Amino acid sequence: MRELWLWLFSFFLLIGLLCTLGFQIVCLVDLEFDYINPYDSASRINKTILPEFIVQGLLCFFSLITGNWLVFLFSLPYLFYNVRMYMQRQHLVDVTEIYNQMRWEKKKRFFKIANVLVLFFLSLFWLIWSITDDDE
Amino acid sequence: MGTENPGRQQFPARPAATPFAAAPPQNMMPFSSSGPVVGSEASGFRPTPPAAPQPTVPSSMPVLGSEASGFRSLPPARFNDPSVPSPPTSNVPPPVGPFQRFPTPPFPSTAQAPLSRAPPMGQPLSQPPMGQPLAQPPAPPVSFRPQPQMPPVPMGSPPQSVNYASPNVNFPYPASDSTFPAPRPNFQPSFPGYVQMQSNADSPAPPIQSTFPAQQGGYAPPPVSSSSPFLAHQGGYFPPPPVAAPMGMQSQMQHLGSGPPIGSIQGLIEDFSSLSIGSVPGSIDPGIDPKALPRPLEGDVERKLFAEMYPLNCDPRYLRLTTSAIPNSQSLASRWHLPLGAVVCPLAEAPDGEEVPVVNFASSGIIRCRRCRTYVNPFVTFTDAGRKWRCNICSLLNDVPGEYFAHLDATGRRIDLDQRPELTKGSVEFVAPTEYMMRPPMPPVYFFLIDVSVSAVRSGMIESSLTQPQMMVVSDLDDIFVPLPDDLLVNLSESKSVVETFLDSLPSMFQDNLNVESAFGPALKAAYMVMVCMLTETLPIDKLYLEPTWGEMLIFQNTLPSLGVGRLKLRGDDLRVYGTDKEHILRLPEDPFYKQMAAELTKVQIAVNVYAFSDKYTDIASLGTLAKYTGGQVYYYPSFQSATHGDKLRKELTRDLTRETAWEAVMRIRCGKGVRFTSYHGNFMLRSTDLMALPAVDCDKAYAAQLSLEETLLTTQTVYFQVALLTCSKVVDVPVTINRYTASCGERRIRVHTAAAPVVADLGEMYRQADSGAIVSLFSRLAIEKTLSHKLEEARNSLQLRIVKALKEYRNLYAVQHRLGGRMIYPESLMFLPLYGLALCRSTPLRGGYADAPLDERCSAGYTMMALPVKKLLKLLYPSLIRLDEHLLKGSDLVDNFKNLEKRLPLAAENLDSRGLYLYDDGFRFIIWFGRVLSPDVAMNLLGADFAAELSKVNLYEHDNEMSRKLMRILEKFRENDQSYYQLCHLVRQGEQPREGFLLLSNLVEDQMGGANGYVDWILQIHRQVQQNP
Repeated sequence: MRELWLWLFSFFLLIGLLCTLGFQIVCLVDLEFDYINPYDSASRINKTILPEFIVQGLLCFFSLITGNWLVFLFSLPYLFYNVRMYMQRQHLVDVTEIYNQMRWEKKKRFFKIANVLVLFFLSLFWLIWSITDDDE
Repeated sequence: MGTENPGRQQFPARPAATPFAAAPPQNMMPFSSSGPVVGSEASGFRPTPPAAPQPTVPSSMPVLGSEASGFRSLPPARFNDPSVPSPPTSNVPPPVGPFQRFPTPPFPSTAQAPLSRAPPMGQPLSQPPMGQPLAQPPAPPVSFRPQPQMPPVPMGSPPQSVNYASPNVNFPYPASDSTFPAPRPNFQPSFPGYVQMQSNADSPAPPIQSTFPAQQGGYAPPPVSSSSPFLAHQGGYFPPPPVAAPMGMQSQMQHLGSGPPIGSIQGLIEDFSSLSIGSVPGSIDPGIDPKALPRPLEGDVERKLFAEMYPLNCDPRYLRLTTSAIPNSQSLASRWHLPLGAVVCPLAEAPDGEEVPVVNFASSGIIRCRRCRTYVNPFVTFTDAGRKWRCNICSLLNDVPGEYFAHLDATGRRIDLDQRPELTKGSVEFVAPTEYMMRPPMPPVYFFLIDVSVSAVRSGMIESSLTQPQMMVVSDLDDIFVPLPDDLLVNLSESKSVVETFLDSLPSMFQDNLNVESAFGPALKAAYMVMVCMLTETLPIDKLYLEPTWGEMLIFQNTLPSLGVGRLKLRGDDLRVYGTDKEHILRLPEDPFYKQMAAELTKVQIAVNVYAFSDKYTDIASLGTLAKYTGGQVYYYPSFQSATHGDKLRKELTRDLTRETAWEAVMRIRCGKGVRFTSYHGNFMLRSTDLMALPAVDCDKAYAAQLSLEETLLTTQTVYFQVALLTCSKVVDVPVTINRYTASCGERRIRVHTAAAPVVADLGEMYRQADSGAIVSLFSRLAIEKTLSHKLEEARNSLQLRIVKALKEYRNLYAVQHRLGGRMIYPESLMFLPLYGLALCRSTPLRGGYADAPLDERCSAGYTMMALPVKKLLKLLYPSLIRLDEHLLKGSDLVDNFKNLEKRLPLAAENLDSRGLYLYDDGFRFIIWFGRVLSPDVAMNLLGADFAAELSKVNLYEHDNEMSRKLMRILEKFRENDQSYYQLCHLVRQGEQPREGFLLLSNLVEDQMGGANGYVDWILQIHRQVQQNP
């Protein structure tokens, strides 16, 4: 049963992460189509960046302590990238150059989403597995 | 070298250059000479002396050589020899004139080219062309002979004939026919030198008639079109008879010719220009005549042709496209390796009589397209008896409002056309009705931020470095606001108290809308503040929201901000960072605070102009960010001393405050379907994908944008561009002078510039319609942006690569149909592109490495160049160098004189005569260079008692004598022509190092300097890269 809770927990973290990234991409797309101005767009995105980093870090930490090496390894590059950006103080989007960086910002987030999705399915799989396991 | 091209007018003069080129205008003429020339190599054959009149061609030329040859074409022009007097050569051209493109039939130019090979010759360079050559050749044992032979054969028509080449040697030819003389074998190949290889070497024989024989390789010639002369030339060696020799020398020139064809060729006139580059790979001789290289000594000449094609377009001073022919497909666009885009200077100063007309649609409202919001312009068409109009950009049919209705005449034009400037002029200004205003216009606010740091106190420099700038400022402040309290200026002893006093006084100065009560915040609280306090750090943005305003903030910064938020560190001193991946970080703002501030300031419509004075590192990279994103400007006065720089600051500050300025503006460039502006470069902030927010715009700022094609194939014939600058509040009371805009205080206007450009399917046409000024402007912006994310070296390389790719693509266009050989070809429109490319690589933001320019200067020049209009940028890149002493000594009237004064010299140290007095003017400063043996009278008259002093400490002012007055008048005149900056005079004496080096010598872009290429090397390098296969 403990397995199940653990998986559920990471499952929710992943969903949270997906939502955050999705929100950021929506902001960027809105900006691109001129539904929102760069100030609002940048401040909305920036507001969600730290939570995103924290959730992601938590997920890594969580998978580490629970011994889910596969999940941990898989999210390690993402963590590393976040930490590096943060250290360089480049983690926030730059409102003045947001249009020029838009392509890269979007691409970056798509990669993150892809990474999270893989984890998401993995954990979904394990979640179901542990449920069925329990049953036995 | 000959350059070929004679054409261009430009050079006509130079004799050298063109040698032949022109030569006979057309064919006709025989060439006089004919020369066979031989080139190096070979032989040249003879000259057929006999020349037959006819056609035969002389030719010959074997030229070959390696590549060199290049020439082909051309006929004989040569003259060479003595015999021929060639005088001609020189330039001849006239006829040809300008154009010549080379292909042209005649032989124009070309020929020479070959020079290249010259090497053997000895001097190669220079002479090459022409006649002289002969002589020279030292070597050649050969000799020269005289010419005897050479006879001029007229080539004339040869065409037919064949020419053969002679191969070397003698024999020749089988062909009999030929005219040639074969017999003579002259050739000599002469020199050993050459030898070149040619393979053929020996035997030549065969050549047979035909044309070319051998060709050597490469280039073989031409295919000659028939006839052609040429010959092959073989190898060279042959010992030939001396005779030939002479030619040999000449050879260079030669070119083959192709004469014959001429006639036919005419049809083919092409329009490219070319430059002969003869050097043989590996040889030392550059094979290029420095005098023949194209130089923009006339300044930036706008191309009239296009303006005539589209008389309704706005003036190029407002909008310049990098090419006035838009590619019709993405594949074509991808072959145009230069930037595709536009440079816009919406408020450019118009000469008297050409002001932009103001239109007020009081009752009907501004006529705009319903769908794309395009403003009515001369390119819209009226239909349905005048009841509808079709938008030229999106093709939508719109209704004509009743008030705007007018009948159409038989040709479909509105009968009231002549009263409607918006339908006849490419540039108009609409008075905006109230719905365009978010709020009633208000006067702008000028906010002065003055650094009163104490660093100077400690170092005992307070008098010199600190107080003075402030005093300067105050003189202007007096006009505008309440004077600064005296104690602020005087009591600089402790920064904290000073700053507080200063702050206390601020509210009274800006009761209007800025509450700066809390302005200092954390920075000020830092008790041990020693160096700086920057108001910007804590500007109360929240308050600004409550009370929106717009205006300009002028920041006078003397030292590095070192406390509180936005504090900066000393950086840039670290030599080791250069050349590493971290190098570019030095050119970026260190603290994101500056970017955020800039964004906030733009939001509230405040433009920031940064004035920096320090002789120490001030981190302009960070401070300048404020100006960059707020549509401002950076002024940098390194080592400011009020005694010397005071005038400059005063004049520039006055200009800043009084020039025609539009506030709170937004600018959008609309263009027809299928194309889209994708990136923008300059000082502004984007508010949406295509809307530039410009808190302040004035006539000294230009913006660039790049276009891309959205559709794979454009189906329209014409693409229209419309620049619309909506100034939410134009304005206002600029205290010092009332200019045109301010007259109607607070009126909002929309300035609209419309232009049309044809869509073409031909790459050649794109090149023909290229505008090198706009291209260089875009290149400079792209390169500077690249330095913000890459190493300087990479920025330079990518610039060079793009130029090479463009020239290579161009060459491929013509390589098949023309025999290009070793010539470098380029479209006439891009004649100066390589030179400007070089100048750009050597400009302050891009040059060298750590030691070549202080970081602050680099950054401030970068910010400045990002905003410069095209003409000013070109002047900065290739400044004018003018010899003054003759004018000063001549008693003639200044007025007459002024025209002569504009005779600019190439920027090379060899043009500085040590007996002369020269003025170097790049639009930002004057440098007056005193030759070492300049007559002491002149120096004494101009400098008075200071004439023997060290010039770095001397100021130029008017002395009581005619010469000094005349000089001052001349300088004044130059300043009047270019008022955006005040050109401060720097005096330097020849040999006074290191000042001479950094002031002047390093700016002579044609000279080799340190690791940077000189013009000749640069051209050779580009040429070599162009010829390399991908």
